[in-house]
Amino acid sequence: MQSGALKRERDVREAYAAHSGELYGFALRSLGDSGLAEEAVQETFLRAWRAGDRFDPQIGSLRTWLFAILRNVVIDLGRARAARPRVAEGGAEPAVEPLEEALLSWQVEEAMRRIGEEHRRVLVETHYRGRPYAEVAAELGVPEGTVKSRVYYGLRALRVVLEEMGYEG
Amino acid sequence: MKAERPDGCREWRPLLGAYVLGDLPGEERAALEAHLEGCARCRAEAESLGAVARLLPLADPGRFGQPAPRPAADLGRRIAGAIGAEQRAGRQRRRWRAGLSLGAAAAAAAVALALFVLPGGGEGAPEEHVEFGALPGGVKIYATLAPHAYGTEVHVYVRGVRSGTRCRVFLRGPRGERVPAGTFTYRWGDDSTATLSSALELSRTRAIGVQAGDRTFLAPVDPANPAT
Repeated sequence: MQSGALKRERDVREAYAAHSGELYGFALRSLGDSGLAEEAVQETFLRAWRAGDRFDPQIGSLRTWLFAILRNVVIDLGRARAARPRVAEGGAEPAVEPLEEALLSWQVEEAMRRIGEEHRRVLVETHYRGRPYAEVAAELGVPEGTVKSRVYYGLRALRVVLEEMGYEG
Repeated sequence: MKAERPDGCREWRPLLGAYVLGDLPGEERAALEAHLEGCARCRAEAESLGAVARLLPLADPGRFGQPAPRPAADLGRRIAGAIGAEQRAGRQRRRWRAGLSLGAAAAAAAVALALFVLPGGGEGAPEEHVEFGALPGGVKIYATLAPHAYGTEVHVYVRGVRSGTRCRVFLRGPRGERVPAGTFTYRWGDDSTATLSSALELSRTRAIGVQAGDRTFLAPVDPANPAT
């Protein structure tokens, strides 16, 4: 997309094609409901279109701007949901993940999806499943040193993807 | 091992991942730490990777093990429709304001629920723009009706009703018959648009109704004889 405005229908279509998947992924992660998540994405693009003149690519990327709008939309939706009467079941309040943590969790999960299969697999087996490196190496038919090396390059790949997604550590 | 020698670093670097995850066995760990003590570059890399490693517990492998979720295939089209409806509603409001300045007295005298029906305009498009009148405070409803072979495309813009209100939209034909156009749920504190359709032809449409919760609002539609 060129220059600042998001005022033409074509601009919105291009922005949707480029970013809707990520926006939806985060909305779904935060709201836990596919219908609400689609509503949040729709509202995000509507707000972006209404305020299209205010988008300045000198300040930040379109992606960053859309995520900032979505964040507000999710907050608004969360408030609207909180205001609705709930049917009490055993007095338990639904667990609501704080938004910043939800965003970070979604970023890490999305980054894990984007790194190579070899790297993801060793991280899952060794870190998430807690399996010994030697056991994983035997299963994969590679030396243990290769598993360690893949863990290292897997973390590096994650760092690169997270930086691309705007994570600043 | 002496620090700052890239050749030496190449030997140690692949261990940094297991190291920052706390998985390196004692001897290997001690040897690596001896290298780190003298090598600022490897220390910086270990710190940077350590920050990444600390994020891992936030991710749920049950989630990232699945393909990334995708929205419904028609969401893009729905968004384009909503933006189109807002554009039309914006044009209609501008026309309404222009019309108001010309005919304020007539507007004030309008009775019942419907106040204004404005002619379709621009580029020869035979759309009908309708603004509902006599609404409760804070509530606004506009609609745009466009003719199609299948009937009438209806864009409805609602603002100010309670979030979560189910809205049922219908058209009325010349004999008062009611032909549904569809339903939508108003969820926002600010505004909402919906793109719906009805089998009733626009040329035969005499009124549009929006039933919001237990209230029904009506506005006349008369393509052959639009009031201004």
